Formats: sequence, C-alpha cells, structure tokens
Amino acid sequence: MDHRLVILGVNHRTAPVKVRERLAYAEEEIVPALSRLKLAVPAISEAALLSTCNRVEIVGVTSDCEAAGEAALRFLGEDRRVGADTFAAAVYRFDGSDAVRHLFRVGASLDSMVVGEPQIFGQLKLAYAQAVEAGTAGLILHRAFHRAFSVAKRVRKATLIGHGAVSVGSVAVALAARIFDTLKDKTIMLMGAGQVAELVARQLKRRGVEALLVTSRTFDRAEAIARELGGIAVPFDSYRPYLKIADVVIGSLSVERPILAAEEFEPIIRERHYRPMFLIDLGVPRNFDERLNLVENVYLYDIDDLGQVAHQSRSSREREAGKAETIVQQELEAFDRWLGELGLVPAIKEIRLSIEQLRDYELRRHRTWLAGLAPGEQVRVELLTRGLVNKLLHRVLEGLRRNGEEGGNGLYTAELARRLLCGDPGLEGEIDEDEDGPDDSM
Amino acid sequence: MNPLWIGIALGCYAVASGCFFFGRGPGRRRIANWGTALLAVGAGFNALYLIARGLQAGNLPVASFGQSLTLLALLVALMGVGLMIRLRVSVIGVFVAPTATVASATACILGTPGRLVLPESLRSGWLPVHVTLAFLGYAMFLLAAGVSLIYLTYDSRLKSKAPLPGPGERVPSLETLDRINYRLLGWGFVMLSLAIVSGAIWADATWGHFWSWEPQESWSLVTWILYAGLLESRLTVGWRGRRAAALTIAVFSVLAGSFLGLSLMHPGHHGGNFD
Repeated sequence: MDHRLVILGVNHRTAPVKVRERLAYAEEEIVPALSRLKLAVPAISEAALLSTCNRVEIVGVTSDCEAAGEAALRFLGEDRRVGADTFAAAVYRFDGSDAVRHLFRVGASLDSMVVGEPQIFGQLKLAYAQAVEAGTAGLILHRAFHRAFSVAKRVRKATLIGHGAVSVGSVAVALAARIFDTLKDKTIMLMGAGQVAELVARQLKRRGVEALLVTSRTFDRAEAIARELGGIAVPFDSYRPYLKIADVVIGSLSVERPILAAEEFEPIIRERHYRPMFLIDLGVPRNFDERLNLVENVYLYDIDDLGQVAHQSRSSREREAGKAETIVQQELEAFDRWLGELGLVPAIKEIRLSIEQLRDYELRRHRTWLAGLAPGEQVRVELLTRGLVNKLLHRVLEGLRRNGEEGGNGLYTAELARRLLCGDPGLEGEIDEDEDGPDDSM
Repeated sequence: MNPLWIGIALGCYAVASGCFFFGRGPGRRRIANWGTALLAVGAGFNALYLIARGLQAGNLPVASFGQSLTLLALLVALMGVGLMIRLRVSVIGVFVAPTATVASATACILGTPGRLVLPESLRSGWLPVHVTLAFLGYAMFLLAAGVSLIYLTYDSRLKSKAPLPGPGERVPSLETLDRINYRLLGWGFVMLSLAIVSGAIWADATWGHFWSWEPQESWSLVTWILYAGLLESRLTVGWRGRRAAALTIAVFSVLAGSFLGLSLMHPGHHGGNFD
C-alpha cells in the first residue's frame, strides 16, 4: 500500500481568530479527540493533532488523500460542532510531499505569524507526544515528526531566522511602552497558564514590573507560576476585585466564551480613575470580549492584532527564510526517498531471506564434503558464498533504488524482483524435499 | 532693522514647520532635529525683535495685537523647544512650529500701525508682569491642546491596531502625553489666575476699580472657570486620557476664539484702545 502524509487545517493566514477559536482544542482534549478521529475516519491510519493560537491542523497518514481529507474535514466540523460552511473556505489541504514540506515549515517556524518565533517547536513536540499517547502515531508519523524536529534545529543553527524576530512578548512590551511611560509602578494580572502568556509576563517583568498577580482555574497551578515568576496567586473565584488595580491583563485561559465583558469594564475604568489598561488576549478561544477595545482608555489586543502590529525587517528576514527553505527542501527529498523505500522494505527483506536460505541450503547439501576440508579452506568457502550472496543482493537493492530515483514504479519492480529471486513459495518445499537426494548420491 | 528680524524669525519658523512635517517617518530623525534647531534660531531672532522694540517703547512692546502675537510666538516656540529637548520627542514640533509661523506671519502682515509707545498712564511695572503672565498661560494652554491632539491621534492608532513605529523612532507614551497635558494645564491655570489678579491690581492702580466687565475680562473669567472645571474633573473624578484630551482641546478652542475674536473686533484696553 502506498501511504502518504496528508495535512488538513486552518491557520492565521486563512482564518481569523474568530474562526480559529471555534476549531481549537485545549491541551487535554487532544488525546481523546485523536481516539475519536481514529474511529470516525478509518481512511487515516496514523494521526496527530496540532492546535495552537495560530493553527489547527490534522496530520494524518493515508493511502487516499482525497477521501481522508474529506472525512477529516467532516470530522473536524462535527467534533467541534461548527458548521462546515463557516470554516470550509479557510481550510487548506496538503498531500504527500507538500504535506511533509508544510510540516517541516511549521516546525521551523517559517509558517508562523511571527516568523522565527520559537514557541511552535514546543507545540509541535507536544502534538507528537499526544499522538504517541493516543496510540495514533505509527512508523511514518514518527519519522515525519522526528525529521521535522531536526529540520527546526538545523534551521535555527544555520540561519538567523530566530534572531531579531519579533516575539509576541516583545510586541507586547513595545505596545506597553506606547501606553505607559514606565512599567515600574504597574501591576500585571496573568490569567491562565499558557506558555506564551507566561513568556509575555516574564518579558514585562524583566522591563521592571514589580507587582504580578496570577490566577488560574486551579489554585495550585497559579501558586506554582506565581512562585516561578515572583508574583502573588489569586484564587480564580475572587480575581475580579483585583482587576481595578491591574494595568496589564494577560488572558490565556481555555474558555468557551469570553469571561470579561465590556459592560463590566465601565465601572472598573471609572474606579481606576480612567488610568489606561492594556489587555492582551492570548487565548484561543478568546478570553476577552472584543468590544472591550471600545471602552475609554482600554486597549485590547488579541493574538491576531499582536501579529499585525509586529514591525519586522522584511529584507533580512526574507534572505534568512530563503536559506531555511533550502534546508527544508533537502530534508524533504531525504524523507521522500525514505518513504519511497519504505514500500520496498518487505520485498527486500524477503529477497534477502530467500537468498540466504539458498546459500544455507547449498552449504548444508555439501556438508559432508565440507567436513573433509581443512579448517582454513572451510572458512574460505564460507566467505566465498557469503560474498557472492552479498554482491548479488547489493546489485538487486541498487537496481531497485535507482529505479525508484528514475521515477519507476518502485513497488512493481520490487514485486518483479521478488518473484525472480524468491520463486514460488511452493518451490521451497520442493527444495526441502530434495535435501536428502544429493547426500545419498555422495 | 526690526521688521527684518521678525521676518528672519518667520522664515525659520516656516522652514522648521516643513522639517517637522517631513521628518515624521522612520529614519528621518535628522530632519526633525533640524526643525528643532531652526525653531530655536527663530526664537532667538524673535527675542531680538522684541528686545529692540522694547527698548524703543521703554517697556514690553505689546501695544498692538500684532506685537502681542510676536510675544506669543516667542513663548510657544521657546516652550516647544524646551519640551522637545526634555522629552526627546520631535512630534510636538508638528504643531508648535506652524503655530509660531502663523502668529509671526500675522504680526508681519498687520505690521505695527500707529502707536509704538504706550500712553503714560499705562507705563507701569505691572504691564510686563500682567502681559507676560497672560501670554505664558495662553502658550501653555496652546501646547496642552497640541499635546492633546497628539494624544488623540496615538489613542486612535492604538485602538485601530496600526503598525508599531520602527525601532529608531521615539514616540512618547500615552501616559507621558497625559501627564504633560496635566502639567501644562496646571501651570497655565496658575499663570492665568495670576494674570487676572495682576490685571485687577493694575486696573485699580490706574483707573481706581478692579474689574470693569470689559469683554476681555469677562471672557478671561469664563475660560478661567472652564479650566478650573477641567482640572477639577481630573483631580476629583479622575477624568484623564482620551476624555481629558478632548476637553482640553474644546476649552482651548473657546479661549482661542475669544482671544482672536475680541482682539480683532472689540478693541478695549486689551485690543490697543487705551482711551
């Protein structure tokens, strides 16, 4: 069977956060979702699910990309209870090599909203670990993900793509600097425990913020983060009174609908004596009502907004991205070669076994004569036969490989070679029966 | 020689305006820095002109509307340069330089018709005190309105998620602009109050009554009350940011309207009619 990679999903370019947030999976939802996917879409034999702020993608292995893609699209809509018409136009699908290239590019942060941002690497690792946990990662996905990780590492080492890249954290800091003249006397409130949110809080703290409040659905988690970042944990059921002293609020809770509404902010702003507030919504689905941006002296930025305002030096970034694409291309070719040979593996195994058996059989047939030889001569015969077998096998394998590279039908040729060199399965029994014959004649 | 100096000042102000206008983009800080320098040079010639006229008149040369405009231009330019150097932001020049240009251009066009010398009765030590205080107040209110205009621009840029400025650009934060606005309003209010008090004392010394309900006096009182209310709203209710900026501009437009309108239409003591 000819197995290929297929990727189906939406990202920050094809779908606004409004759509992405409805398709996104929380971290703990992914393993069960993969189990459901396995049952619902039998056409997909291996699967992983990547859900970040910027993308929701199903990475699968299938022999029929068309059917698997359609089934996966239907699954996504039903599993997230989103009508296909709301997101189908934003969905892209990559088949075969294109899918591998896409996976490599995502891992190397070439497809990110902020190119070069390092978080995606960790997110991809997590997606892989979850697929392993769900038992939906097989031979091809293992290889594909491991190659994606190594592409990412190579790109990071060989290019400057990560250097000077504007992380979400530094964009947040730059925006804060446009609103506040100093961060020293400001208070941050971190809601939830997303990786990116922690990073932003850390960056702001490095810029001098002294007061940090942390709240999370589980108090233990909030305490752990607070301890790590040097803040104070606030129980989730009583965080609201603290909003009026928070100058920066970072939201990354996993919620189904916004937890902060515009109406409740009017009194908060009044109580704050109209001092400005900077709301950073890193949640997908979003944590804060988008109308909060209309409240006087409140500045709300969601994940798309942060990407939009990022000022990047385009020319240098494009040059580095070019280098990265070359690495991706090299790795892609290596992967395709591997995948092509993967189909030959059973045939090659069988041929090797069959020829080894022939050698074994011949040696056994002449064992009486062999026993009469001097020990040195016995070794020589052993070496001679093995050399013959290995050279023959090598020629066969080389021939198959070359055939594959020249665009021949690998599987067909492999089958032909198998038939030529292994004979009929029944034949081996004949040989076995013959075994005593030569012995008798000796 | 005198008109030449104000002419040079006007030229400097005008070119500075162009520098500030074209020096806004990224990597154009040098153009904006030229603007600041030209503004300072213009202020120097402006000051020379006023000193020469003052020596001629034997007092602060504010006998006509045109002359008082040159004083206003000087104060605005000086304070604008001060603010720009202190905050290291050139964007303030975008309204400071054109204001100085328009004020000194108007002064040049109007010229100094008629009286160069104040009547004997008004030549007192109170004149420079009263006029300087009043014009300092006006200049501060004008700068406050300009800063508020910048505030509103930046506010709407942030709200509409406009791209961040490049790393080379220095842009004041909203909080900074709000604080400057507050300080300018506070000091401007002090100046205006002192101007009214000194005016009243001077009037009492000259004419024997503190207050004559002359239009300029009445409007000064109105603007004084408006500014008092503006400061009050900030101190007690805490109005700041967008609302404070919008109100600053609104109140200043009342002040500017009354100053210009009265100076041109109702020449009382303040309009150069001292009889």
